[in-house]
Amino acid sequence: MILHTISVSPASATFLDCLRLIDAGDGLLLLEDAVYALRDSTLLDAINDTDAQLYALADHTLAAGLGEVDYGEVRMIDMQQFVALTVQYPRQLAWY
Amino acid sequence: MLFALLVTSTPFSGQGAATAARFAHTLIEQGHELSSVFFLDAGVENGAANAVCPQDESDILGLWIELAEQHQVELTLCIASALRHGMLDEAEAERYERAATVHPAFSIGGLGQLVDANAKADRVITFGGQG
Amino acid sequence: MSERDATRTLILIRRSPYGSSLARAAIETGLALAAFDQPCNLLFVGDGVLQLLPGQDPGPVGLRNLGKLLQSLPLYDIEHVYVDNASAQRYGVAEDDLPLQVDMLSTADVQKLLSEHDQLLGF
Repeated sequence: MILHTISVSPASATFLDCLRLIDAGDGLLLLEDAVYALRDSTLLDAINDTDAQLYALADHTLAAGLGEVDYGEVRMIDMQQFVALTVQYPRQLAWY
Repeated sequence: MLFALLVTSTPFSGQGAATAARFAHTLIEQGHELSSVFFLDAGVENGAANAVCPQDESDILGLWIELAEQHQVELTLCIASALRHGMLDEAEAERYERAATVHPAFSIGGLGQLVDANAKADRVITFGGQG
Repeated sequence: MSERDATRTLILIRRSPYGSSLARAAIETGLALAAFDQPCNLLFVGDGVLQLLPGQDPGPVGLRNLGKLLQSLPLYDIEHVYVDNASAQRYGVAEDDLPLQVDMLSTADVQKLLSEHDQLLGF
């Protein structure tokens, strides 16, 4: 079980490499520019296909102007929950 | 749980460094332990003593200093990256006959310190971005 | 260093050789782990596979040759060097041309590799 933290733009090839390598049971936490993936329905479908649990850091979605919408499967988390996730998942992999 | 952080983000662009500093404070508030923060690549700019932050933006340097002074967290700038970025502590400034540019809450050290933190911590959390 | 089993670390190398200073930082972190006898493997993925292209000559742009540094990896105690096959295919990086001995991994094998390490350091 890996917590993938990703902060690159959804348009980058790194984002796609991350999605390809996510395994069922992993978590994916959207940070910084990666939160714009929430605006891309094709990409959201691809993310849901990975069977990973999806999270977004609320401070970053708010900053981006994406805060007030319900994104379905995506759990909006605060910094406390971010720390809790790094305890829950034994490993973290940062994509940036 | 014992944490160590690896930060490669500059505080001057993006949110990686600020996120790392807030993460560090939050984990300590939750009763976890933070042994060290290792700053690599553009991350060494977090130690800039003379960076002046606009009043309406958060003071990331202040967050780091608080970790060192109140929670005894070791803040280490990777020496190879630090020298390239013009980040010199008192010792390096003397060696190269330049002015010191690193805040005294930080020290300059080798990758061995990251290796040590990696071996001992239960979690090593990386914060990058703008790299 | 500690009483528990040694931490097994995987370094993910994702930057092209001269596009980012993180390219060298990744390799040097791997060498440092090996120098301190910490079990360490390398995985080239994404643009990182471009570090493996033969014939690099960064002299004219005033940079040190990263390809040369990679050739010296077998001298250090890095256990294994892995390459993500999908990334290598994307850029036409052929196994026969590589400057060092590597293991080419499918996507499923990379997923397995990630799950077998205690720490994942991505650059």
